[in-house]
Amino acid sequence: MFEEPASVPNPTPVRVLAPEGEPIEFIYRGARFHIHNILSRWQESGGWWNRISDGHLHDSAHLEQSIFNDAGRAIWRVEAAPVGALATFEIELDELTGKWVIRPTSRPA
Amino acid sequence: MGYSPNIATCLILASQTGIKKMFTHLHVASGYSFKYGTASAADLVERASRYEMKTLALTDRDGMAGAIRFVQECESHGITPILGVNLSFIQKKYRITLLAQAGSLPALYRLLSEVNRDSANEKVLTFQTLEKNSLYSSQLLAMHGPDSYLASAIASRRTEEALSIFASARDLFADQSLEIVSHRAKGDGPFSTGHAAKLLTFARSHDIPAVLTNAVRMLDRADGPVADVLDSARLLVPLHQRHVERTNSEAFLKSSSDMSALSDEISRAAGESNGRALLRTTSAWAERAHLSPRRDVGIGSIHLPEPEVLGAKRHEELGAQLRGRSEAGLHRYSGALSVAASQRLEEELATIRTLGYESYFLAVADIADIARSKGIRVAARGSGAGSLICYLLGISGVEPMSQGLLMERFCSPLRNELPDIDIDVESARRLEIYDAIFERFGPERTATVAMVETYRARHAIRDVGAALGISPMEIDLIAKSLPHIRARNISKALENLPELKDLKLNTPLMKTAIHLAARLDGLPRHLSMHPCAVLLSDAKLLDIAPTEVNASGYTMVQFDKDDVEAIGLLKLDVLGVRMQSAISYSLQEIERIEGVKVDIDAIPLDDPPTFDLIKSTRTLGLFQIESPGQRELVGKFAPQTFTDLIIDISLFRPGPVKSDMITPFINTRHGFRSKPVIHPDLDEILRETEGVVVFHEQVIRIISVMTGISLAEADEKRRALGTFESQQEVCDWFYPASISQGYELSLVTTVWEILRAFASFGFCKAHAAAFALPTYQSAWLKSHHTAAFLAGVLTHDPGMYPRRVILDEARQWGIDIAPIDINLSDRYYRVEKVAEGERAPYKAPNTASTGVKLSLPDARGYAIRIGLGDLHGTSEKEIDSILLHRPYIDLADFVYRSGASSPTTKALLLIGAFDSLYKEQNLNRRDLLMHFHDLEKFSHVKSGKSGKSGKSGSSQLALQLLPSTLEPSGLPDLTPSERIRHEVDVTGMDISHHMMQFYGQFLNSIGAIRSSDLIHQRSGSEVLVAGVKVALQTPPVRSGRRVMFLTLDDGYGCNDITFFEDAQGDHANLLYHSWLFLVRGVVRKTGPRGISLRAISAWELSDSYNQWRSLSEMKAGELA
Repeated sequence: MFEEPASVPNPTPVRVLAPEGEPIEFIYRGARFHIHNILSRWQESGGWWNRISDGHLHDSAHLEQSIFNDAGRAIWRVEAAPVGALATFEIELDELTGKWVIRPTSRPA
Repeated sequence: MGYSPNIATCLILASQTGIKKMFTHLHVASGYSFKYGTASAADLVERASRYEMKTLALTDRDGMAGAIRFVQECESHGITPILGVNLSFIQKKYRITLLAQAGSLPALYRLLSEVNRDSANEKVLTFQTLEKNSLYSSQLLAMHGPDSYLASAIASRRTEEALSIFASARDLFADQSLEIVSHRAKGDGPFSTGHAAKLLTFARSHDIPAVLTNAVRMLDRADGPVADVLDSARLLVPLHQRHVERTNSEAFLKSSSDMSALSDEISRAAGESNGRALLRTTSAWAERAHLSPRRDVGIGSIHLPEPEVLGAKRHEELGAQLRGRSEAGLHRYSGALSVAASQRLEEELATIRTLGYESYFLAVADIADIARSKGIRVAARGSGAGSLICYLLGISGVEPMSQGLLMERFCSPLRNELPDIDIDVESARRLEIYDAIFERFGPERTATVAMVETYRARHAIRDVGAALGISPMEIDLIAKSLPHIRARNISKALENLPELKDLKLNTPLMKTAIHLAARLDGLPRHLSMHPCAVLLSDAKLLDIAPTEVNASGYTMVQFDKDDVEAIGLLKLDVLGVRMQSAISYSLQEIERIEGVKVDIDAIPLDDPPTFDLIKSTRTLGLFQIESPGQRELVGKFAPQTFTDLIIDISLFRPGPVKSDMITPFINTRHGFRSKPVIHPDLDEILRETEGVVVFHEQVIRIISVMTGISLAEADEKRRALGTFESQQEVCDWFYPASISQGYELSLVTTVWEILRAFASFGFCKAHAAAFALPTYQSAWLKSHHTAAFLAGVLTHDPGMYPRRVILDEARQWGIDIAPIDINLSDRYYRVEKVAEGERAPYKAPNTASTGVKLSLPDARGYAIRIGLGDLHGTSEKEIDSILLHRPYIDLADFVYRSGASSPTTKALLLIGAFDSLYKEQNLNRRDLLMHFHDLEKFSHVKSGKSGKSGKSGSSQLALQLLPSTLEPSGLPDLTPSERIRHEVDVTGMDISHHMMQFYGQFLNSIGAIRSSDLIHQRSGSEVLVAGVKVALQTPPVRSGRRVMFLTLDDGYGCNDITFFEDAQGDHANLLYHSWLFLVRGVVRKTGPRGISLRAISAWELSDSYNQWRSLSEMKAGELA
């Protein structure tokens, strides 16, 4: 049921259950994954300057959000599984929008 | 939840939050960590206060420039301050944070000063420095953070090395700790939770104290981009993932609960059950570093030179000394004035005694004496001129009693700030005074003061542009176009500048840049030396302020002028004034040429020719009154007395100009309006200013007369008038107070309205009087020794006009301009006596309204010889060498002996510096140029870079190879316009004649008006004028509408032209980028000799000229 990581080029939106901020479960490709173990967690931000040339900048009122949205992304590297063998995922929370994604770096354990 | 807590639970919760320990941030960088920290000290304190933190540290990188401001903010928020500094340790890339303990702040300052002094170490704290200064360091707490040498040894498992570093530093510090930081960085490097846990584990297993910090450099997560731009500006690299230090935005001032969660996370990763132990050690460590703003930092104390330094045994003796020296000056008064002066002296002495400032006055008097003994001109500036003692001690040259100047405006027991004496000295010799002060009072009492340069528009856009990789040319164009404004106003400014319309500012990149530049607004950028302040302290100076050695080699405290005042350090402002140098130079020239020694400080202050010159508005080169606006004002005002000059200077400021205080004053002065009579009691106070309140001193006296309070109290009220809130308090007091003195309500209302309206625009008369003195002196010199004065102005360049305008000014008074001559020119501009020239000096027209003939100078018979000092691209050394080897017999001699470079020689040749050597041989400059090329070809000693005077064999050989006689080649000489072009290229001046002469025929044919004839034009008539751009000013105007003032010089004087907004649109670009103009405008007369032009349109003069020429050629063709 799990494909090669190379075929996951972009972050995939994902539904995550995180009642107290820490993710517990997520639903991926129709299956419910339970997080068994948090391997590590970290914060990322930066690279905002790469977004300047994106071109969606005609409205200067949104400049702040579109470019300087540098509030950060929280990432958890977790071991999770529906059934069977555990796999490693990196799930990311965009702290500004509250959207969760599964990062393309996720791979089977 | 359907569950509501009962009261008991609520109480338990409340008491739990009550006892909950607030976190103390021990590692915080503010914006005073230049180009690193993004938050102001005030914002950090305010945030900590909002988080209910009780304590906060400031540990800026490499310096403590923010310390005083931070402590003051802490005090006003009820937060206990902790001070420290973050330094490079052992190697540049490793850092350490040092904290002062209670009572050991002097040790921190002194250690930091020592690190700064050791310039060879690039501000790196070494073991050697520590051992040398262990007396200081052993009082300090040291924190080894994730970027410390110690941490790097621990992380790479060099345990032995780590322990040995720790052991060898043990005796050098009061205590050491490992600073545990997690920014939740990815991986297990520094600032990751893993790394933090590793340090914590090490600390636990070797019994080393561990403290938790967040290594703060931002206020909020959202400040990340600002941090990136600062990193890029500091490291001089464009923004790129590779260069950016920051991997996330966690280095911000986190709340106590965030820090508590972090403590848990790290501690658990280190195998502990929770983070409480780490929080506990952190807070214990913090308590050792609590400082008292008053006791430790010294807020509100005072430090003055000790009596011994001034030759007194005890403080009481200082008073006797001050009295003795002041009384010695009383002989300047006689009769009734002498009685009044003695009485005033007693009052001032009493004030100074109450304040304990005797040593300050004596110290400043000493410095003035030292300056004079070195022959350096010195004059007091500012409110200090209001003190009789300053006059008697020779600090100020303005007699205060007859001018109604008040001591109370300068210094009183009620004033909650230290008096500030400023002295003006010759700019060219200012550093001699600095050296004398350091020598007189010793390096332990004296230092210069820092000045914090903050990001304003230009620097902000430059640094952001470089970070974002915008092309340097594009950024340069924008930066240069921006006026000197706050960075946050950039986008508004850009919208309003028509000349920037062509730039594509709407691209995402440019919009981002502008937005980011605005976010840099106000952040400290650099610590530089205050241009004029010198501290006069007691010998504790180095205990109460950290110092560094600035670029010019002076010791400088890292605090700015407000900081030093807060900790009771008195400063003396020593301002370099070019006009004082120009005056000094003029006096030397007068003595050299005329053999007369003029005592400029003793000239009568009522000299009619001096005032005639001022009234003629021919004030170019004079102090304070040469600007176009001032020329218009003196034309309207026609000052007659020294007091008038003081009034003139006071009126010419934005406040009075904006509120149009000038018109009622001028109208009354010229009798167009009757003098307002308010009340007989106030008449004497307001007489000199025609019933208009102009001076602070008048406001003080009015309040004192109306309410019966003392002048010192009245000055407090005057100051309170300045702010809106306290103004109401003064109002509530003023009405009953003056009515109880028997004044009618209607009068009180009238007076209150005047006070309210004018108080904020008023000017300190003492300040204006101190300015008026050099103004008058410069006018006196220009009027009686025109050539010597203008030579002084040309040499020291004190004013706003380019030298070529001053040169033309000289021409207009009948002075010959002697060109640069290789054997006659000095380094500076020299006066020569010559046969009287043909050109008549300027005569002021007798206008119908005045009918008065002004007596103006006639400077025929004098010449000003241009000096070598202003040759473009010529070094001081070259000039020294040229002057040393004079005289020269011919060009070849010069080439071989002078040491001048080839470009310099060629430049000198082109402007005719060798003409006098070849006058009889009938050789022109083109012949000489060919000769020079031959000389160069033959000579191997080219370009003079060898520095030798060229006596080598090869040049001797070259000499022999040259033809023995020079013969005219038959080539035509340079044309007059070619000559002018070379003169302007080489010296920036049109020396042989005014460059407008070239356009004379054209201007006559189109009926352009000469500036000197403008006065004869009717008000409202439309005229054409032309000239060379002298000045273009765009002062800020309250309405936000830009007004541009263009000054054109046409060889007959100056035209002052105003471009209002409607006339700017098409012309702004032209005005900025062109040099020669033809302008059509409307004449407006403003007073007896006041005249201005309102522009309708403007053209580039050469364009118009070319059109005219082709048109006349066409006409000529048609006729043929």
